[in-house]
Amino acid sequence: MELDLIQDAFDRVSKKQKLSSSKTQQLVRQIEHEIEQAIMKMQSTENATSCPELKQILADLKNKLNEFSPMNQLETLQKDLNITLGKYVKVTEKSFNPDISKAYRNVDFDPHIVNQIIASHFYRQGLFDLGDCFISEANEPEAAALKTPFLEMYGILESMRRRNLELALNWASSHSEWLAQNGSNLELKLHQLQFVEILQNDSVQNALSYVRKHLAPNASAHKVEIPKLMGCLVWSGKLHKSPYADLLSPNHWEKLADEFMQQFCSCLGQSYQSPLSIAIAAGIHGLPTLLKLESVMAVKKQEWQAMKQLPVPIDLSKDFQFHSIFVCPVLREQGSDENPPMLMPCGHVLSKQSIVKLSKSSTRPFKCPYCPLEASVAQCRQLHF
Amino acid sequence: MDMAVDMAIDAAPNGDASAAAPAVAAAHTSTARLAQIAESLKLEHQLVRVPLEHLKKTIRSNYRLAEREFTAVLNSVAEASGSSDSRSMDETLTRLSSLVTRLQGLKRKLEEGGKVENVQVQRCRARLEHLGSVADADKLDDWKDARLNRILVDYLLRMSYYDSAKNLAETADIQELADIDVFFEAKRVIESLRNKDLAPALVWCAENKPRLKKSKSKLEFQLRLQEFIELVRANEHMKAIFYARRYLAPWAATNMKEMQRVVTTLAFRHNTECSIYKVLFEPTQWDYLVEQFKQEFCRLFGMTNEPLLNIYLQAGLTALKTPLCYKEACSKEDPLSQEGFRRLAEPLPFSKLHHSKLVCYISKKPMDHENPPLVLPNGHVYSTKALEEMSRQNDGRITCPRTGEVCNFTELVKAFIS
Repeated sequence: MELDLIQDAFDRVSKKQKLSSSKTQQLVRQIEHEIEQAIMKMQSTENATSCPELKQILADLKNKLNEFSPMNQLETLQKDLNITLGKYVKVTEKSFNPDISKAYRNVDFDPHIVNQIIASHFYRQGLFDLGDCFISEANEPEAAALKTPFLEMYGILESMRRRNLELALNWASSHSEWLAQNGSNLELKLHQLQFVEILQNDSVQNALSYVRKHLAPNASAHKVEIPKLMGCLVWSGKLHKSPYADLLSPNHWEKLADEFMQQFCSCLGQSYQSPLSIAIAAGIHGLPTLLKLESVMAVKKQEWQAMKQLPVPIDLSKDFQFHSIFVCPVLREQGSDENPPMLMPCGHVLSKQSIVKLSKSSTRPFKCPYCPLEASVAQCRQLHF
Repeated sequence: MDMAVDMAIDAAPNGDASAAAPAVAAAHTSTARLAQIAESLKLEHQLVRVPLEHLKKTIRSNYRLAEREFTAVLNSVAEASGSSDSRSMDETLTRLSSLVTRLQGLKRKLEEGGKVENVQVQRCRARLEHLGSVADADKLDDWKDARLNRILVDYLLRMSYYDSAKNLAETADIQELADIDVFFEAKRVIESLRNKDLAPALVWCAENKPRLKKSKSKLEFQLRLQEFIELVRANEHMKAIFYARRYLAPWAATNMKEMQRVVTTLAFRHNTECSIYKVLFEPTQWDYLVEQFKQEFCRLFGMTNEPLLNIYLQAGLTALKTPLCYKEACSKEDPLSQEGFRRLAEPLPFSKLHHSKLVCYISKKPMDHENPPLVLPNGHVYSTKALEEMSRQNDGRITCPRTGEVCNFTELVKAFIS
């Protein structure tokens, strides 16, 4: 996009606008001046009531005004300005897509669902006042379902920001089973951080009793970490000169806050990032392709609206890949339960339908389309991604 | 059909997005990313057009003001100098002084008008600068957040949730990028229409007459029809007929059928049971008028017909929609694992892939040539990196996370997937 060109075109508009505005005001002053001159002339004439004198002054005034013809000048200024504006409009219409709703399908987006999504998004971002304001304006009281859990989450995050791990530790311990099932060592990491805090700001004694109380009971699971922490005790007061100096890095707080948020959301059955953000970002990614598709396809409006599957892929980046999708290289169809991917002995993968087609009968071996190796149907095994 | 469309897509003008990508994968990604950003900027027509239309409107009204006043003053002077009867000097002095006062008033109004124009010019410029700031790689995430908020503010304004819109614009610090004042103009008209008051809407039509005419808008006609129906409802039949003669007749040539249908209501009472005419007396007619006004308003200002949120959300859901999203095992990170999104996406088409795109169940990372898939004896597939890590931590043993079966790393087989 040639932003420079657009900015240049706009600079011209801006210049013309200023010129037009100041010239118009100047014209007003000029007219005013002429009339004031006429008034002065009238007031200084000796023969106060002389008709022809009066007429002469008025005629002079009229002629003067016609001479520099303010109306024509005004019109010219406006015409010029309009031309420059018109050029700028053309530049924008060329540089931007003037109608991005061309590919829009006339399906009804249930406004209640959309409002709920928006309200959840606000609460997830921590914008609680805005969420409440929105819910009352939109009149959607049920949309506040996620408010309480996110309030809790932000409360914990806030206390973590103030270097207070109590709430976080409470949450982690009350969810320790879930965390263990999901392979997260959040609780351990919190304890580690707390230990370092106590060591730095409190006494060695308290740090030691902390380890005894919280980490020792589960010592077998923390074979690597406990010796490390005990080692820190030796360098207490000089931790920044010890081999464990990196434990003091403020990064740990940020990373732990992120990890906490991840686990909290996951436990709630929610994604880490706002689903609305992801969906909109995917839309921004994919809309140019959809618009091009709509204009190139030249199909009737009904066909576009009734489409069940896009004929062309929308290339989204890796951030938007949530599923494994297998596409058979031969038939170009997506894998499904009825048509799963099959691994051939040579290592290539085809869909079951392709293999059935290639083998024509179920016992004769067939040649792989990608290498000279042959295989029979029985030698192929189903894959699970 | 697919191939033809594919080729057409590649051949269609694509700005500079089709620059030759270097061989190095990382550089290719950043080129692709830049190209993607450039493409997304092209979608921002509304951002740039709306303040421009607003500016044009102000310029027009300032011009008309000056035109009116100049004409009046010049005519007055011409009349004074052209009249044959003798006027006293006092009279003439008074007249001329009043013209001076009038001009001074015009000067003040033009100064104020000029200030408004300057503010609007500044807003146009701010928008262009904002688009340019996307090149600043450090602030890209902030820019993207601002974009999401802009889309949300647009939705809130269109739904008339003005307080939420103002709140979000302030919180997100995007006031220069939101068109709140433009929507406020519409707010007045919409609220009055909801209160069954047609006057502000008609005034708006008068103010924008030339442009509405250019776009062949029927809004004024529909407002007049409603006014007619209200007269009929109040049993003011004579008034209604005179109203029709004055205000509906000019539209008759192009809208005969519609006009005839409405005028026929004269023959019925407002609580008629005849369905064709009963509907004309329904309060839903006012909702229809509100929608019509909103559409005209958006069109005049260069805004999309649908809220930006709907447009992007639809595109996004289509791009993300796969049959796997509707299964139980769908990853929670996928927006389509949420009930609301699933329902919205139901009537939309599925996305399509031409090549396999695989994601490792364990690490959630893509399985591609940098991280190829490996197959366990039980047919389950995971990424090389994840399995290597597992093997390292478990003395060469692999445990399938989904079935629990154990095998050796050496038993794994490579799969070649294009």
